[in-house]
Amino acid sequence: MTSSMAFISSTPTNLQSFSSSSKTHFPINPFIILKPQRLNLVSVKATENGSGAAIAVEEKKDSDEGGNGAPVADDVAELGVKFEDPKWVSGTWDLNQFQKGGATDWDAVIDAEVKRRKWLEDNPESSNNDFPVVFDTSIVPWWAWIKRFHLPEVERLNGRAAMVGFFMAYFVDSLTGIGLVDQMGNFFCKTLLFVAVAGVLLIRKNEDIETLKKLIDETTFYDKQWQATWQDEKKE
Amino acid sequence: MASVALKSFTGLRQSSPENHHSSKSLFSNPLPSTQLHYRRLNVLAGKSSPKITGRNLRVAIIGGGPAGGAAAETLAKGGIETILIERKLDNAKPCGGAIPLCMVGEFDLPLDIIDRRVTKMKMISPSNVAVDIGRTLKPHEYIGMVRREVLDCYLRDRAAAAGATVINGLFVKMDKPTDKYAPYVIHYNEYDGKVGSVGKKVTAEVDAVIGADGANSRVAKSIDAGDYEYAIAFQERIKIPDDKMQYYENLAEMYVGDDVSPDFYGWVFPKCDHVAVGTGTVTHKPDIKKFQLATRLRARDKILGGKIIRVEAHPIPEHPRPRRLADRVALVGDAAGYVTKCSGEGIYFAAKSGRMCAEAIVEGSANGTRMVDEADLRNYLEKWDKTYWPTYKVLDILQKVFYRSNPAREAFVEMCADEYVQKMTFDSYLYKRVVPGNPLEDLKLAVNTIGSLVRANALRKEMAKI
Repeated sequence: MTSSMAFISSTPTNLQSFSSSSKTHFPINPFIILKPQRLNLVSVKATENGSGAAIAVEEKKDSDEGGNGAPVADDVAELGVKFEDPKWVSGTWDLNQFQKGGATDWDAVIDAEVKRRKWLEDNPESSNNDFPVVFDTSIVPWWAWIKRFHLPEVERLNGRAAMVGFFMAYFVDSLTGIGLVDQMGNFFCKTLLFVAVAGVLLIRKNEDIETLKKLIDETTFYDKQWQATWQDEKKE
Repeated sequence: MASVALKSFTGLRQSSPENHHSSKSLFSNPLPSTQLHYRRLNVLAGKSSPKITGRNLRVAIIGGGPAGGAAAETLAKGGIETILIERKLDNAKPCGGAIPLCMVGEFDLPLDIIDRRVTKMKMISPSNVAVDIGRTLKPHEYIGMVRREVLDCYLRDRAAAAGATVINGLFVKMDKPTDKYAPYVIHYNEYDGKVGSVGKKVTAEVDAVIGADGANSRVAKSIDAGDYEYAIAFQERIKIPDDKMQYYENLAEMYVGDDVSPDFYGWVFPKCDHVAVGTGTVTHKPDIKKFQLATRLRARDKILGGKIIRVEAHPIPEHPRPRRLADRVALVGDAAGYVTKCSGEGIYFAAKSGRMCAEAIVEGSANGTRMVDEADLRNYLEKWDKTYWPTYKVLDILQKVFYRSNPAREAFVEMCADEYVQKMTFDSYLYKRVVPGNPLEDLKLAVNTIGSLVRANALRKEMAKI
């Protein structure tokens, strides 16, 4: 469903309507998207709703005309520029605009999505029903992900495993005189090998050891909280 | 397909055996001593507790919300002398107000206390990917939105009709019994209806106490039940123009993202004639107003022109208290901490736990003729833990996996687009059972989940490089 949406030929979306009601106009051009940090200085972020602190307000919510209790005049500062990109059409990336040499350039799609998410993280936007976002990362095929993210990491890990393996084989051989092939037949050596592989896979940074310990605690913490009331019973 | 529909339909119609209390002994009519005393789940060897002569078992329920009301009704129907103490009879509790379908059937709720039937939900990711869920719901399935003051009142009135005494008062403290079977003495201030009066001090002797007084339970304090971590839920009720209200006719929204909440979600729930926009957090409570602003920003286009008519906040327990039971005092509902993770649902579990505790008391006391002791009340705990532990654990896992970070939330929303996920989610939510489901589909789901998480995290790593 999402792929069919992506192939809709780009019709000029009325991007201007987003800022039609804004009092100030920011120059809207694609280059802004590439440098989100610079724009942060210009856009007004939503700030604390202090008592009476008037912020540059766009569409103010109705203040208490009906005298219904004490409704607060809602100041929602929202002068930030919305995310716009010529390749972002109808709430998804238009794959037709990502063609390179006849095939879709998936790396560029991934880059574009990364920029969009980074932008939205720094400038959260209102979700609008007229312009729904329907992009699904699964339209990028699995091999594109593997080529871009998995392979470099795998290369690094295999390199580590190879170095550790070579050194350990040499070390064990020098200590015991057992060659590589015979080492594989020994149960203890097999265990060491398993530990080495698991270590390389699980512990990639120094912080990972702490992370793993915390994870193990986390998985059982909730159970402990539920069991707490039964500790009393056993004491009796 | 038809058989599945039939199964769930009969599940709705068929009232569970717990609803029918066959024995309705009169208060002053002790049953013959030869009556056997069946206990379904034996935790300890059943101690023989003394028979009570001349009166029935007396139980006080502190707190008249869903938990208290349900417990009072079950106790009263079981022939037990019940008093229900509630401090504010017209309390409009700050609450999401969502009840699952099974609650309507299990508690025989009349359909007119349900303001709205939500049949669609929209999940919105941090990057505003919006997914509609609810396609798999059958025509008779819905999430009921109720006004707490209406629901609580209805349950209390029903309890009163069954024979419980509803007292408008504030529980102050409780004296522990001096003897093994001596009564508890509860002290409360009874309000006489005059505005601003402190009420007159009353004491009452009861044999057992059910603490149903919510997240800041005084009963829990008096039995040293311990503390729990809690989330702060902050909510603004906003009256929006009719055309915008049309969109929320039977739709609720859930917004996820670091801007909205670091460990929970922001929501827009439709109420009777307005919407409730809110968010919650456990770890960043001082920033709750910032999160609320962010939630309003995300929903801005849909609530434009709205007027805030009420602002409210309340604590939500994150896990059960270390002690839910002490001697003949038991905690139920929010006081015990029975709110699920991930969704923060508490109304159904409050009512159900109140009922279960009351049932354990009725059974342990043989309809009010014998004293109860801690072992009888522990039966309620055991039954509760056994029945609902899978539900709680699964929701805990979901929260840990999917509310961790923005990539996890993006993956979460992506997964919600899958029909199998929607079906499983709604089945487990509406009927409160964790069904195993199709193993092949489960495997596909696991693979897809891992795929989504991996993709989202990969994108996140790239984002960090910019």
